[in-house]
Amino acid sequence: MRIGIDVGGTHTDAVLMNGDSVVCAHKALTTKDVASGISASISALLTQSGVSKKQIDAIMIGTTQFTNAVVERRNLSEVGVIRIALPSGNGCPPMCDWPQDLADAMGHHVYECHGGYLYDGYPVAEINEGEVDAVVDDIRRKGLHVVAISSAFSTMNAQPEQMFREKLIQAIPDVRVTMSHQIGSLGLLERENAAILNASLLPFADRVVDAFLQSLKAYGFRCPMFISQNDGTLMNADFVRQYPALTFASGPTNSLRGAFKLTGLHDAIVVDIGGTTSDIGVLQNGFPRQSNVVVDVGGVRTNFRMPDIKALGLGGGSYVSSDGASIGPQSCGHRLVEEGLVFGGNRLTATDIAVATGVEGVGDAANLSTLNNSVVQTALATMREMLNDNIEMMKPNAEPVPVILVGGGALLVQGELDCASRVLRPEHAGVANAIGAAIAQVGGESESLQSYSALGREQAIQHVVDEATQRAICAGAEAASIEVTEVEETEVPYMDGNINKVRVRVIGDLASLQANQISEVSA
Amino acid sequence: MKTIGVNELDALCLGSVFLATGGGGDPYLPMLITKQALQHYGPVSVQAVDDIDDSANVVAIGAVGAPTVSLELLPSIDEASATLDAYERHTGEVVDLIAPFEIGGGNSLLPIIAAVTKGIPIIDGDGMGRALPEAQMMTYAIAGAKPTPAVARDYAGNIACFETDSTMTYERHIRSFAMAAGGMITAAEHPMKGQFVKGAIIPNTLSFAIELGNTLAQHRGNAEAMLPHLTDVFRHSEYGACRLLHTGKVTDKSTKIVGGYDVGNLTITPFDSTQASMEIAIKNEYLLALKDGEVIASVPDLIVIVDYETSTPINAERLKYGQRVAVFAVGCPAFYRQDAALKVVAPRAFGFDVDYNPLI
Repeated sequence: MRIGIDVGGTHTDAVLMNGDSVVCAHKALTTKDVASGISASISALLTQSGVSKKQIDAIMIGTTQFTNAVVERRNLSEVGVIRIALPSGNGCPPMCDWPQDLADAMGHHVYECHGGYLYDGYPVAEINEGEVDAVVDDIRRKGLHVVAISSAFSTMNAQPEQMFREKLIQAIPDVRVTMSHQIGSLGLLERENAAILNASLLPFADRVVDAFLQSLKAYGFRCPMFISQNDGTLMNADFVRQYPALTFASGPTNSLRGAFKLTGLHDAIVVDIGGTTSDIGVLQNGFPRQSNVVVDVGGVRTNFRMPDIKALGLGGGSYVSSDGASIGPQSCGHRLVEEGLVFGGNRLTATDIAVATGVEGVGDAANLSTLNNSVVQTALATMREMLNDNIEMMKPNAEPVPVILVGGGALLVQGELDCASRVLRPEHAGVANAIGAAIAQVGGESESLQSYSALGREQAIQHVVDEATQRAICAGAEAASIEVTEVEETEVPYMDGNINKVRVRVIGDLASLQANQISEVSA
Repeated sequence: MKTIGVNELDALCLGSVFLATGGGGDPYLPMLITKQALQHYGPVSVQAVDDIDDSANVVAIGAVGAPTVSLELLPSIDEASATLDAYERHTGEVVDLIAPFEIGGGNSLLPIIAAVTKGIPIIDGDGMGRALPEAQMMTYAIAGAKPTPAVARDYAGNIACFETDSTMTYERHIRSFAMAAGGMITAAEHPMKGQFVKGAIIPNTLSFAIELGNTLAQHRGNAEAMLPHLTDVFRHSEYGACRLLHTGKVTDKSTKIVGGYDVGNLTITPFDSTQASMEIAIKNEYLLALKDGEVIASVPDLIVIVDYETSTPINAERLKYGQRVAVFAVGCPAFYRQDAALKVVAPRAFGFDVDYNPLI
């Protein structure tokens, strides 16, 4: 049996799963001390189900803590930022386009050095040993323990980043380093940004992972713990310590994956309705369709692959105009339990409309006696139109598609939707994101420039597949189960030698769950 | 004299990517350094074409290379002005005015950096009115300007000087220098006198790109909602007609490198499945739009692909399977409808066996 937990900004959802079926679920407010909230949720699940902790094979956690750290500029560490690409990029130093407060949080320890490679493997410039030593020395002197390194075309040749890392480790034995080629794809600026954000989260990641592991250990669990990442796959504890930034979009991803698991539909639209917004995403072959635009995290451009989500200002707390013709985007959010009519408040909300149509178990329907039925009908039509219009925008084509409603606000939508071939409201839809965390697999991704003339296309792609496979195994995947799920080739124009950018993604099942990972708690 | 300052840059970038018709590259990094240059030196002076001094020494400036490479080989703030310095050293001439290669994408910004750094004006116009892949397709060359003396400079400060008679030959040579230099260089070429430039340039395109960018930002929304605003802004410009040709999802993209260029096809399957798919032929830029084998729009008219929901233009390299897009066509400036221009930019100049049928 597995336990899946989703730590959101407002709620911590937990679910106990036996294979593919939900044994029981639990929803609670997120506690300030996240780890103890997780313990409490687990405790509630075990009490409710009567299952013993020995029967739990693994615990999967999805958390927004790292996203929130960046957005709220909390728990970030100062970072030594090294870019090896001079003489190119003079005038575009690292973090030159960051929001000031976030750049300040990084401490402005920026170093630019000569080196890196061109697309064809020729050096941008020779490495200058004296320059490198001076940087290492300055970082040591400043007492920095976290460093991000990037270099030109490091996705193709990472040697300059690795060389610098070695020198840093020699000089500062406990230094923590994020190399850009490990976390980003082509696009030096975006990849460097990802590396800096990730490095800045490393000490916090240690604290978070330690707290999770310690509270599980205190509870007597011997099973491994995993944390879910942007693409719906899992990382083990050690991997999270190195790549906390890969959790940035795990929330929406988990709700899409949970909807897939609850319905078995590989291709569908998923609407996750919360208190303030409805997040509309697309399932393609059981996984979230990913966004094609540059993704902004806390005001910084990155090239993380994240699900393509359309957020619509319609949630359980959305205010409804007195005639019902206008709903949201203003919302009372968590204050729904104070402001909503059914809770004795004086604001008409989307939840009140749902209760008026007969939804039970939410507040007191008696408070709605003065609510005119025509207003209710108008409001229902308004909600349906808002959803229809926005789902229409996300649909892969004009054919009606199945629409899966999940999240705490799923009860808002009664009946069918015009854009949908059918509307599914699976049981346990309220904790779909925790289910998504519980069922996650392990993935690996690699991207590099390959010369098809030199290697031949097949061998060139295989090279990238091997690298991605290796990464998946490092992340905890069972080698035999690994499948290639995506091969993307992009030819580089104006180039001879048939140069292609090849990106490969593989996914596999978790390797056999071993009960020894509690020992990972670091000092 | 008009000026362009930091406040106009976002609009200029957005408008210039639309006019880039799939090529030209992402202007994000060039925009960052242009912003720095304008903050340091103040707004750049923009010379209206009609006001150009007949005796002024004018040179065309821009980058030559592969947009993908520029994602890693970041631009430098002094690149454009250093190229201009090298040009002046090589020719012994003092440049009075800068003429942009093309208004498409990042190449709309590089000449601004050169001009503001040197303290000279930039002409409100460009040599393409869009983006096109080769030097001989520029209005300057079509009007009869010699490509050289020309000077090209790479990221490391290596400099090559060219003396060639024909722009076709020059294009071959400078392309090989770009490849040797890691895929991206800056060039100053096609020296001209002010009097000549007046009849050899697409006028007002810098101002227009800003106006277009403002329109796209202000009315950000799906393609159908955007159409009337675009129609309006193009009707009062050098361009003319603007039509929404197609909406749908990218269901195939196959490109191959042929002769150093990105050549291929794109299939856009309509949202409404009863309609025919649209095929787009690509040679770096979007060149032909076909439905059921019939040409709906072709180069030198502009074919522009935008993100369906936001009408944000997408360049060819970033187009991917599954993207929801809209295809617009815009009539090219009158200059490109002359016989002399069509000889080098009509579909046949790209090897397509179809005639140019002007969009009206």
